[in-house]
Amino acid sequence: MKRLGFFLCFWVLLQFVGLTCPSWADSIKIPVAAPFTGPLASFGEGMKNGALLKAEEINAKGGINGQKVEIILEDELCDPKEAATVATKLAADPDISIVVGHLCSSASLASLPIYKEAKLTAISPASTNISLGKSSPYYFRNVYKDDFQGLFLAKYAKNVKGYKKVAIFYEMNDYSMGLMNAFMKQAKKNGIRILGKEAYSAETTDFKPQLTKFKMMKPDAIFIPGYAPQGTLIISQARSLGIKNVDFLGADGLDDNLMLKNPDAEGLFVTTPFIPDKAGPKAAGFIKAYREKYGIDPNWFAANTYDAVGIAAAAIAAAGQDREKVREYLVSIDTKAKAYDGVAGKTYFDKNGDCLKEAFVKEIKNGKWVGAEKQLQ
Amino acid sequence: MESLFDQSSLFLQQLVNGITLGGVYALIAVGYTMVYGVIQLINFAHGEIYMLGAFLAYTLVAVVGMPFFPAFVLTLLICAVLGVVLDFVAYRPLRKAPRLAALITAIGMSIFLQNMAMLVWGSQIKSYPRDILPPFFSESAITFGDVSLSWLQLFILAITLLSMIILHLTIHKTRIGMAMRAISQDKTASALMGIGVNRVISFTFAIGSAMGGMAGVLVGLYYNAIFPTMGYVAGIKAFAAAVLGGIGSVPGAMLGGGVLGIAEVMGAGYISSEYRDGISYAVMIAVILFKPSGLIGKQNAEKV
Repeated sequence: MKRLGFFLCFWVLLQFVGLTCPSWADSIKIPVAAPFTGPLASFGEGMKNGALLKAEEINAKGGINGQKVEIILEDELCDPKEAATVATKLAADPDISIVVGHLCSSASLASLPIYKEAKLTAISPASTNISLGKSSPYYFRNVYKDDFQGLFLAKYAKNVKGYKKVAIFYEMNDYSMGLMNAFMKQAKKNGIRILGKEAYSAETTDFKPQLTKFKMMKPDAIFIPGYAPQGTLIISQARSLGIKNVDFLGADGLDDNLMLKNPDAEGLFVTTPFIPDKAGPKAAGFIKAYREKYGIDPNWFAANTYDAVGIAAAAIAAAGQDREKVREYLVSIDTKAKAYDGVAGKTYFDKNGDCLKEAFVKEIKNGKWVGAEKQLQ
Repeated sequence: MESLFDQSSLFLQQLVNGITLGGVYALIAVGYTMVYGVIQLINFAHGEIYMLGAFLAYTLVAVVGMPFFPAFVLTLLICAVLGVVLDFVAYRPLRKAPRLAALITAIGMSIFLQNMAMLVWGSQIKSYPRDILPPFFSESAITFGDVSLSWLQLFILAITLLSMIILHLTIHKTRIGMAMRAISQDKTASALMGIGVNRVISFTFAIGSAMGGMAGVLVGLYYNAIFPTMGYVAGIKAFAAAVLGGIGSVPGAMLGGGVLGIAEVMGAGYISSEYRDGISYAVMIAVILFKPSGLIGKQNAEKV
């Protein structure tokens, strides 16, 4: 009996080893690091879909210089500790010359020093915290920063929606606090009064004490610079506390189909880097292929990751698999003329590895995400 | 005058929020305190029973399609059985081992159950269907100015109070309650007097787990969110409530839950929402510093 147990354990272990070992060695590995399980798995799902679709298309055209691209999914649950573990593993693998990731800003900030140490380039399709690019010469991103997003949202709130008094409900993490600060800075300039700001942590499900305070402040709108799993609860609990006639606004962290399941979220509007019906002609083929493969519309995580894998592949095609040369290639994309022309707009990097991208506003109407009629240009 | 009215209604609303949260903590804390009272074990898997209660009711309603109230009762029964099985599998074999061994199995069971729930139900937040309860539950039962108490809050408070009273009567007025009190004083002597010790311990686990499962369902309804890791934080908080009230004492668990819930909500509402959990734990530490046996716990008090 004991022996049987031993063999069973051994067998299980073998299965794990089998899963993590790559099946062939002569392919080019591009890791994608994001939360694929846990509460933010649906964000990671978009990244995974976008990356796999791009790799499929590259391979259908003969791969990179004849070698197939293999996407390796690294799950880090959006947890800074797990992200650091994943980063250490990738940094130690000599076959890896560029990483696509991470998704959450806190995860990116935790992995950044490890990549820097290993001189491994990472390109994040989704981390928007402002301090990322400045902190490491090896960190790039093809998404806008929160100072831009917060500014954009504050302008939209004032010019299109006409809000005068806004309350802020933020999560205690790098993404949310960076976004809040940017929003507040621009709001002050625009003459929007910030009535108050309250915090919550990701572990909680009880938002009523903070919302009760907001109720007494009577704001025009409540800004939630957080993620969708908490955002949907906040909106429901606000409505159940009798907070009516108050709008909710959020940023790309609330841009998730989870919000659509919540009838209280009707009218919510958010900023996002990509909307299928507002995307340029370049995106049409991508949107069609994505719909065919997955049966849904691509979200911004999918579009940006599709582009990020494209940039990574272009870097390897041009510079080979040498880590330093890959970085030099990305640094060289520094003007609009040399930009990578992707499905979510043109990407070119400034001296910090950050980029300028367009932002859009979308809202929930009749239980569906639609591009807002009035965009801010 | 207007602002004074606003201030007092804000306070009252926060008090209502705090008492509801405290009631939930109390329901979970009872499970910790009963098991501790009888076998001096901190059952760290209790938070997972709470989580499983929430998910079982979800499955019965959303997947099987049962109406809510029968599903609620069935969930309590299943949770009671789960508690007994948990004791049978993880704790009974270690009854004579050092207490640390059972504590470690408790943590192991907690991790096991949490991950099992992730495999079965997925790791994303789920919500009960909207029409699970008759619609009047979300309406205000009592409205006073800006303060409102919904039927659901009233339902949670009523069910918490009712089960506490039933529990108190069970422990003090029935034969099995007497047996529980006897075992909490001296297990060996109780066995010598002809009490089926294991049977009584199983009963304790059943009652405690049913109440934990009940708390899970109520919280799922109140906050409209259930997820596999929900038992962890709630379990720690409820454990703190049990310690605060005096571990081993049922009225203590109730008082501790109330104090912790109100401290947490008032801390978030009046001091700083960033330090919400810090404030509630600070209250607990302060109480333990001055009264190490908890608010109600006496050194030689009966433990159930």
